[in-house]
Amino acid sequence: MDFTLNITFYVYIAAIVAYVVREVWRAKTLRWIAFGVFTGAFILNTTLVVQRWFEANHAPMSDKYESFVFFAFTIAGVYLIMELVTIFIARVHESRLGIVGALQSLLAVWMIHSAMNTDSTIKELPPALQSNWLVVHVINYFVSYSALSISFTAAIVYLIYRAIYRGRAQEIVMSGSESQLRKDVTFDKLAYISVTIGFPFLTVGLITGSIWAKGAWGTYWGWDPKETWSLISWLVYLSYLHLPMILPKTKIKKTFAPILLSIVLLIAFPIVLFTFMGMHKLPTASDSDHIYAE
Amino acid sequence: MTKAANPQNKKVKNDSKSWQFLCSVKLAVIIIIILAVACILGTVILQMRSPEDYVNRYGEGLATFFSAIQLTDIFHSYWFSFLLVLLCVNLGCCTVKRWRNTVLQIGFLVTHISIIMILIGCVIDMMLGEKGGVNVYEGKSVDYYLNRADYRKIPLDFKVYCDDFIIERHPPKYKLLTFVKNKELEKFIPAKVGNKIKIPGSNYAVTVKDHYPDAELRAEPINTSKEPNNPAIYVQMMESNHVTAEGWLLAKNRNWYNDPKRDLKIEYLWADNDAAYEKLAKAAGKIAKPTLDIIIEGKNISRSMPVEVGKSISIDGTDYVVEIKQLALDYAKRDLPVNEQSSDNPAVRVEVNGPQGKETRWTFSKYPDYWDKAHQAKYKDVKLTCYVPDNFSQTSSSLRIVQNKEGKQTLSYLSNGKLVSTTDWEVDKNYDIDKTGLQMRILKYFPSHSIKKEVVERSGNHEGHNHGPGEHAGTPALFVEIEGPRGTVADWMLANNPPRWYPDKNFALLYEQSGMVVKDYKSILRVVEGGKTVMTKIIEVNDPLKYKGYVFYQSSYDPEGERYTGLQVTRNPGLIVVYSGFILLCIGVVFIFYVKPFLRRKLRKGQKVEDYYSEDEIAAEHIE
Repeated sequence: MDFTLNITFYVYIAAIVAYVVREVWRAKTLRWIAFGVFTGAFILNTTLVVQRWFEANHAPMSDKYESFVFFAFTIAGVYLIMELVTIFIARVHESRLGIVGALQSLLAVWMIHSAMNTDSTIKELPPALQSNWLVVHVINYFVSYSALSISFTAAIVYLIYRAIYRGRAQEIVMSGSESQLRKDVTFDKLAYISVTIGFPFLTVGLITGSIWAKGAWGTYWGWDPKETWSLISWLVYLSYLHLPMILPKTKIKKTFAPILLSIVLLIAFPIVLFTFMGMHKLPTASDSDHIYAE
Repeated sequence: MTKAANPQNKKVKNDSKSWQFLCSVKLAVIIIIILAVACILGTVILQMRSPEDYVNRYGEGLATFFSAIQLTDIFHSYWFSFLLVLLCVNLGCCTVKRWRNTVLQIGFLVTHISIIMILIGCVIDMMLGEKGGVNVYEGKSVDYYLNRADYRKIPLDFKVYCDDFIIERHPPKYKLLTFVKNKELEKFIPAKVGNKIKIPGSNYAVTVKDHYPDAELRAEPINTSKEPNNPAIYVQMMESNHVTAEGWLLAKNRNWYNDPKRDLKIEYLWADNDAAYEKLAKAAGKIAKPTLDIIIEGKNISRSMPVEVGKSISIDGTDYVVEIKQLALDYAKRDLPVNEQSSDNPAVRVEVNGPQGKETRWTFSKYPDYWDKAHQAKYKDVKLTCYVPDNFSQTSSSLRIVQNKEGKQTLSYLSNGKLVSTTDWEVDKNYDIDKTGLQMRILKYFPSHSIKKEVVERSGNHEGHNHGPGEHAGTPALFVEIEGPRGTVADWMLANNPPRWYPDKNFALLYEQSGMVVKDYKSILRVVEGGKTVMTKIIEVNDPLKYKGYVFYQSSYDPEGERYTGLQVTRNPGLIVVYSGFILLCIGVVFIFYVKPFLRRKLRKGQKVEDYYSEDEIAAEHIE
């Protein structure tokens, strides 16, 4: 287990390098190498998840270690599906995804690294977690988190490009041409698409969590810190989805609107991560019934 | 992008500004952001604590400010409720205003309505719902529960019996902890047979080589030398050739056995020289008598008296008279005749007579402080201690097995303090004890008695243990090899025993249970209405009992004796509305983001976006 975990860690690092190389040279032969390395890491990660499932005899997403490994698994999985869809279904050049692959891989590296520093002994499920809702709820959340993480990295890339092409930003955005530069600054669109992929999962995750809480604790909403923060992240993405409708009616410049939206995403994802693993830092944490992921 | 094909656009101009604002997305976004900020505050500021708590934590000024704007209970505050109502109104107006009766808007309609439904459902539950809890003792029933907010008793029109409460546990797990003393290094290693594990940061290595799932420590007496370092004999006592008692007597340890029924005491004595031998074997000798010591604090008076029941002395210089009322060799069996008690916990009952009347005390030979600590003494200055010799007995006859280095070994029978007979003894021979009709035999003689402790695998049945069938959890053992600077040592380790140290005393292994994890809490509940059982269910966490709109959840239990089960009771009449809202919200969101984009391209193929989308929709979907 430890050995596979280490290997997975290094292959994810290799994937970062491969994606950076692909983005810098943009050679056709490199097209599948980066994808292949990332896929390799994903397969290793899958064996980690499956092996754990068999060893622990419960869905491997109940404690900190398991959630980290599972999150890395969904991060890689969702990104790889997205890249395949981009190339084969949307038929867009993969440079539209650009460096996002490297950043997603970095995120997976972070998660695996956290897993390596976490107690990996198999623990028995406490009675409250012994529910089929656990699987539905957690899978929905991690798929959603993974898609939202793409929106986060895409927002970062967008803001960086906007900073680089600061002077010409206006003309590039307005040109509507198919130039390479134009493609480079469509990362705000990619971020939006990722949110539209992740948001329904976020909603379903929130709702299944509520139904589960009703079955286990008798209340579907109890303002538990974890519940409240999952609502906060939902509300932030909800406002991200509604903002574009009001921005044209304000004094904000049209070219600045995507920057503002990207900034919202930059705030939103850390909120998601905080919901995932920061609950013990809250002063109200002692009131929480959520032992999950702690 | 400039003109939207929305026919209602013209109407908008006629609407009042406040109506427009009430319908606007702007208001929605503002409410959403305020709600999010309120939620953050609600988890950062402690909620629903006592006013003093806030003053201690945040200071006087801030605490007053918090309570003034209801930041101490945000989620139940008026302004939070107002925001939710406003959100509902905004959603409703917005939905009515923007509805254009097209398939593409289904998601928009459904999501917005569903959120209104969820909020309305919550309000119904808050107004009409019930929530509380009740403890039901095993075998008893309740026909009420206690309201959560004010602990009011709320009657139920049926009875709920708890037939049984069960805690199921997982089989225990064991862990192997390594400890390097000079580095203060602790590390867990897998407690299963495997390869050599090097302990990082040290030059120790541990290999788990074998494992018994269920083992025990077996103690076996052995002889380690021919020198009489710790002489011991194994004696059998018999009556008409039936063994009545048998066991080891150690000359330098527990060297006596009392048989109160037969009024006989057996002693095993070792003599170092001939003179001592003669004395031990032939002289009747005196057994030390129990004594009672009396100290009067502050007066420098101390007296000692033999413990003889009925005897009393008056202490000179005081008004106290101390009388001995009873001697017990085993306090727990103090009601039996003394000669039927074995010397386990000797105690003397004393009556102190003084100016304030009588006071009775028990004084324990082994626990001199006990009585004073546990009771309020009338005469605090009177301190009593008693001494009862370990081998004290009131038996009238005794059998002495005496041995010395030179190989002399005799059996002396004494009765009423007089020597009756002396015979030499040999191992494995029966001897009659005078005319008592009793026999004895010495089966083994170990000059250097020692105990060899060995871990052995336990097998077969364990009947009579305190657990149900299939629940038996044995004590596992590991065969562990430790490599270190002083070479390799290997031994069995039984779980939950003291740590095993490597010879250099710098490295230790601890093999212990890591706790019994609870698998589930279950209660067998029975609902009785009008004298008839209408429902029986084993409830557990995540699986409540539902009856007549009430739901009974397993929520706690009696932590001390597991005698009762703690049930949470709820009634949520709005639940159906909330859940319908949940389902609609899921459907709506999935429709908007997963169905609509494809549907739009299919339905509106070749049409310009501007022809069928409003400005808002174009912006919302990032269409350029």
